[in-house]
Amino acid sequence: MGRPELKGDIEIRSRQHWIDHFFEGWSVFWENPLGKIGVVLLGIFALMAVCSFVPPLIHPMYHPMTGVDPDIYSSVGPSVRHWLGTDFMGRDIFSQLLAGARVAFMVGVSAAFMSIFLGTAFGMIAGYMGGFVDTLLMRLADVIMVLPTLLVVLILASLFGQLNIWTIVLIIALFRWPGVSRVIRSQTLTLKQRPFIEAARVAGASHMRIIFRHIMPNVLPLAFLYMTFRVTAAIIIEAALAFLGFGDPGTVSWGMMLQWVWKTGHMFKALYWLLPPGICISLITLSFYMIGRAMDEVLDPRLRKEEAAR
Amino acid sequence: MEIKRYLTRRLIQILLSFFVILTVLFLLFRLAPGDPVSRMIDPSMSPEDAEHLIAQLGLREPLWKQYVVYVRNFFTGDFGYSFHYGRPVLTVIWEKLPNTVLLFTSSIILSALVGIFLGKIAAWNKGKPLDLWMTIGALVTHTVFLPWLALILIWVFAYKLGWFPITGIISEEIWLDPESGAFAKLLDVAHHMVLPMATLFCIHFGSYLLIMRSSMLETLKEDYILTARAKGLRESVIRDRHAAPNAALPVVTSVGLSLAFSINGGALTETVFTWPGIGRELVFAVSHNDYPLAQASFLLIALVVLVANLVVDILYAYLDPRIRY
Repeated sequence: MGRPELKGDIEIRSRQHWIDHFFEGWSVFWENPLGKIGVVLLGIFALMAVCSFVPPLIHPMYHPMTGVDPDIYSSVGPSVRHWLGTDFMGRDIFSQLLAGARVAFMVGVSAAFMSIFLGTAFGMIAGYMGGFVDTLLMRLADVIMVLPTLLVVLILASLFGQLNIWTIVLIIALFRWPGVSRVIRSQTLTLKQRPFIEAARVAGASHMRIIFRHIMPNVLPLAFLYMTFRVTAAIIIEAALAFLGFGDPGTVSWGMMLQWVWKTGHMFKALYWLLPPGICISLITLSFYMIGRAMDEVLDPRLRKEEAAR
Repeated sequence: MEIKRYLTRRLIQILLSFFVILTVLFLLFRLAPGDPVSRMIDPSMSPEDAEHLIAQLGLREPLWKQYVVYVRNFFTGDFGYSFHYGRPVLTVIWEKLPNTVLLFTSSIILSALVGIFLGKIAAWNKGKPLDLWMTIGALVTHTVFLPWLALILIWVFAYKLGWFPITGIISEEIWLDPESGAFAKLLDVAHHMVLPMATLFCIHFGSYLLIMRSSMLETLKEDYILTARAKGLRESVIRDRHAAPNAALPVVTSVGLSLAFSINGGALTETVFTWPGIGRELVFAVSHNDYPLAQASFLLIALVVLVANLVVDILYAYLDPRIRY
């Protein structure tokens, strides 16, 4: 099994000093080359997502989904008018790429947020309640954990027909909470032994109040660390699903773009179309991953001291 | 025997987990919107045959009776007929299974071995440029989007350079030729396997490298490494004999834990390379509404992951004498 205790016991910090802690954490984070590269990359993608609203305003033919260049009805290489060329219908690839950034953020962040919410709630309840509830939740987590999420979504797509993007997000969230819940559970187990929980109980606090008021603030930083990794997982699953042809036909995601270039037989002809979406998916995954690893070091001082050990 | 007790407990756990999956799948296939009958019965079947099959599966009976039939059919290996192939699902899957196992296990084992080896080197050179480049390389190959990597590999090595076939598992001209011997056929499959294997290898070895690296750094702080140094052992002996074997254990665990992730990748790889395996069969079945085939391939994959997790646990206990269940 993993080593949850490695994640360290996060101390409760007094509220006045959280700003100091934030800056201290930020400087440790920023010193890490991985964290720096990750943040810069992510900034570029965020800029792309924001700019995705601009091209359709310039001219309707730059609309990523419905815009078609009236003079071009096939895939043509880069030009001044279409910086990255056009796809098989004459739609602008660059505006599709920008729209894809927006979809990636939307899918990644919302799915990650939901799965972290579920994982934290279940983890805290399992750890705090113990006994039957604990066994039930953790066995359920075990079952879900062994299922390959992509294939689960595929099966559901075959049963329920075309899934829209929010259904896909919801399914991803429903199948990605077990990892987080395990970590939160073990953290809750150690917190439960602390005197301040005992004190709260003696003072007559209800279970709900202890869980949400006293335990949650102490496990949330850990939960958010896991959020970055969940974001990458969600983006990859959505992209893979779209690539296989089961994405939401109403959205232009990077996975969708790859599916178009692959399925319309342009992959050997149109490198300008094949390269950008794949590079974007890979880089956004990489940036979240790097940020996650750098945050790991901020939250877990043991990893920081690695340098001095040898 | 402690290990026996542990094994029985794990087996019961696996059986329970599998039953949960089996039941949920049953409920999904019966209760999803639309006509459940149309999902079990091949639309191209004659009405009499269809009526016969409906009676046999008890599709007009109450749900619990259908469930009994379903479970019984599962344990007798009767998954119904594939709509597309018109053959029993079990024989279709049985044909594809060896291809998946061949591609999947060989690439996982290769990437674990390479990941362990490179992770050891990276940790040993901690802080030097070699370490930084290995870490960055591992991160990049680990996070690259798999289907895209597969397409790029095809583009470069199959299309531009022409070194490998673009898709498939065999070349017909070699297999249909009575002249060609077993070795030529074997070589042909290996030739087709290079690119899919390279894809899966790229995706996996990075994470194993990173895990090995951090585990090795932890191990090097142990007292017994200090003892080994004090004894005046050669550095390479300390690294390869004393530190690496212990540090490699978490890699074994992670192979098991990341199996679900690997299976996703396997299905994508098989689809892009049209490698005739279970994963591609599942994707194919889903896009062609071949429900019996989709259901059975999913169940088989779930079963394989569950059993593989057990195998990894046993392997771990075997490799680490400190672990006694």
